[in-house]
Amino acid sequence: MNEVTQLLQAIEKGDATSADELLPLVYEELRKLAASKMAREAPGQTLQPTALVHEAWLRLAGADAPHFNGRAHFFGAAAEAMRRILIDRARRKAARRHGGGQQRVDIDEMEIAAPARDNELLAVNDALDKFAALDARKAELVKLRFFAGLTLEQAAGVLGVSEPTAKRWWAYARAWLFEECKTSVSAQR
Amino acid sequence: MSFQPGPKMTNLPHNMKPASDSTGGSREESLFESALALPPEQRGAYLDTQCGADAALHRRVAALLEAYGRSDGFLEAPPEAVGPAGTLLAGAPPAENPGDIIGRYKIREKLGEGGCGVVYVADQSEPVRRRVALKVIKLGMDTRTVIARFEAERQALAMMDHPNIARVLDAGTTAAGRPYFVMELVRGIKITEYCDQNNLDTGERIRLFIQVCHAVQHAHQKGIIHRDLKPSNILVTLHDGIPVPKVIDFGIAKATEGRLTDQTIYTQLYEFIGTPAYISPEQAEMSELDIDTRTDIYSLGVLLYELFTGKTPFDSQELLRSGLDEMRRTIREKEPLSPSTRLSSMADADLTTTAKRRRAEAPRLVHFIKGDLDWIVMKALEKDRTRRFETANGLAADLQRFLDNEPVEARPPSNVYRFQKLVRRNKMAFATVSGIVAALALGLVVALNLYVKEKAALRRALQAEQEEAGLRKQAERGLEIERKALAGAELGQKLWRAGVLMSEDHMDQAEEVMKGVPPIPESAAIYYALGMCHARWGRLDRAITNYAKCATVQPTNDLGFHCLLPLLAQAGRTNEFETWRHKALNQFASTTEPEAAERMALDCLILAAPDDVAQRAVKILDNTAATPPRPLAELARGLAEYRQGKFAPAAARLERTANFLTNTNAAMQARLILAMARSKLGMADNTPLPDDDQFSLTGGAWNEQMTSLLFTREARGVTVK
Repeated sequence: MNEVTQLLQAIEKGDATSADELLPLVYEELRKLAASKMAREAPGQTLQPTALVHEAWLRLAGADAPHFNGRAHFFGAAAEAMRRILIDRARRKAARRHGGGQQRVDIDEMEIAAPARDNELLAVNDALDKFAALDARKAELVKLRFFAGLTLEQAAGVLGVSEPTAKRWWAYARAWLFEECKTSVSAQR
Repeated sequence: MSFQPGPKMTNLPHNMKPASDSTGGSREESLFESALALPPEQRGAYLDTQCGADAALHRRVAALLEAYGRSDGFLEAPPEAVGPAGTLLAGAPPAENPGDIIGRYKIREKLGEGGCGVVYVADQSEPVRRRVALKVIKLGMDTRTVIARFEAERQALAMMDHPNIARVLDAGTTAAGRPYFVMELVRGIKITEYCDQNNLDTGERIRLFIQVCHAVQHAHQKGIIHRDLKPSNILVTLHDGIPVPKVIDFGIAKATEGRLTDQTIYTQLYEFIGTPAYISPEQAEMSELDIDTRTDIYSLGVLLYELFTGKTPFDSQELLRSGLDEMRRTIREKEPLSPSTRLSSMADADLTTTAKRRRAEAPRLVHFIKGDLDWIVMKALEKDRTRRFETANGLAADLQRFLDNEPVEARPPSNVYRFQKLVRRNKMAFATVSGIVAALALGLVVALNLYVKEKAALRRALQAEQEEAGLRKQAERGLEIERKALAGAELGQKLWRAGVLMSEDHMDQAEEVMKGVPPIPESAAIYYALGMCHARWGRLDRAITNYAKCATVQPTNDLGFHCLLPLLAQAGRTNEFETWRHKALNQFASTTEPEAAERMALDCLILAAPDDVAQRAVKILDNTAATPPRPLAELARGLAEYRQGKFAPAAARLERTANFLTNTNAAMQARLILAMARSKLGMADNTPLPDDDQFSLTGGAWNEQMTSLLFTREARGVTVK
């Protein structure tokens, strides 16, 4: 985790290349944390993405957590990492369903509670990609809320916008994405 | 500033222009926002005027508005996954401002900010005019539950009347829906800060602490447990120049404590911040809600420790950094250093400062605390609450006895007790083999008792002889007996010493002591524990050395082999693996214990084996065969068949068995061997193999994880199709 701390500090100082290195590290950290938790917990347990992200954060920043400057970058990376973990899993599961009925226990399949059912998750993900091309900041807000489970208040803090602004963004983003998902689902039918 | 989102899309839908800037937003967005602010019935007309001839824009915004109306709950994170608002992410502004009215109270200024709330000074106007402290709980807690829990204790809280307790006066809900508590206003500083600022010596600190004990005792008698005693909840104020400690926040920890489920685990984690050092082992357990007054005794012990040494038994920062599980384990299992040892282990400069704050010289301070005060603190800090002081008064009384130069009741733990603690620690750390470790250790205790008894018996014999025999003969015989008894007692001492050293995490010294112990079965427990520690630290060679000794001094116990064989395979020491697998096969050739048979059969086949080895492994399994067959035996048989090149029967057997294997490691191993067998049969198997880092070689059942890892690596070589 030390490496992550250093990266976060570098980013704070304006080192842009460090931002690219952050995601894989945070991704790895979350995956390891989830895997080690699953190994220790009784079978059938489900991990909460929020709890995972925040525990990773606490391990990283310790008691300095509330004051640590790198938090915006960390939560941004964690939201993206969590999105990839959840989407990868949903895709794999879908592929397996299509691929026929071999029953397997896959260690890769970490029991992380997804914020939505698989097909909805994938639809939202596609819609979100489109939306991000249109308005990256609002898409970031959705990611923080939906994948990292932050509250609107927390997400506003990470993005550095006021709560009313975040609220307006949220309303628009939600309507946009809902409309987009609806269209894409009906197009499939 | 923002993190780069996923891959950019090239084909924009609905031929819209990308927003140039997120604050500016598109025409569509601003229309959507303005329309949304209007009552629904006016929106149509509004869009008509705004869009004019642009029918596409009109349709689009209308569709968004409709989507918005139906999107309730869409994208909302799972409610249980939502953590306390703003707290980790600072910067969330407080919802209350000076001048605000909450219930009957008018907010004045902010007094402080604690783990779970913000405290304000407030004025109450009726029925009495007074100044109070008002604490608003800031986390996303269920207000109704909090208030209901408070109401349940309200009667008891009202009964509390003690000069060292700040009274809780009222509770309610703010307009924003957050619970708040009203307390007697205490303008003081943390007890630890007060003591340091005024350079109180240890005696003065004890006197202040005794008053805190009496306050806590008073609450306990009224049926109130504090649950969150820590320096920031024990404030010192001056009354006519005399320091008076006041305990605040009684009844609040309980009211605000959530049900400890996985869903709230994050909230709990947050609650830890700042105070994990004061959490009692039973609170750290988190799965049980069985908290009683002895939890407060533990926290008092931590406070006393900090008053004496300036440090808490475990460092809060370190606890937090180690992660939740490790933190829990530390609080539940790790023995802290005694206060005097802690002081002695400080850097010279630190110790001098600490001593100066207590108006003492370093050596004298250590000397003052060593002994009685150590024992008193450690008794309050016992992991097993039945061994703590039963009441806060009991703790206070022992401290008073110390001040009065009377003998204290707290005693240093006896060697036997420390050894039992070692066993208990091992039991928890080595969950999978707890019973056996306890049994081994028990064997050791029994053996030691035997030495003692033997000595007594020899003495009695000597006495009898003294009565009948002449003086000269008696002298010779006496010497011989004494020598024999001494040798036994010395050996017992050494084993004890090793156990105690281990319980204090001095592995090297324990190993040194063990060098002087001959290979007796009773020492197996120590070697086993030493091997375990090294293995979990990743020191394979030292782990192997100890397990080899364990299996040598007590070859009848299969658990030594069960750790040794995977270790040898993992370390690539194949020749030794070969030797030890033959030892195991000989030793357990006719075992009647099915678990031992299953473990040994599998372990001997971790690496490829000649046919006769596989046959002997199967024979061991045959001895303990059961109907219906035991799943783990089937796993081992499947492996044996695979090793013998009988791939089809192996695959069939493992397919049959897979669903019955409840043990995660065994299930994983079955899956891996099955995958190898299928590949050998030319059957496609698309199962991705796990990565190396998915196995934890430092946790419980590390040896079985190690075996799974070895199979995984082997499978990678086989499954190239």
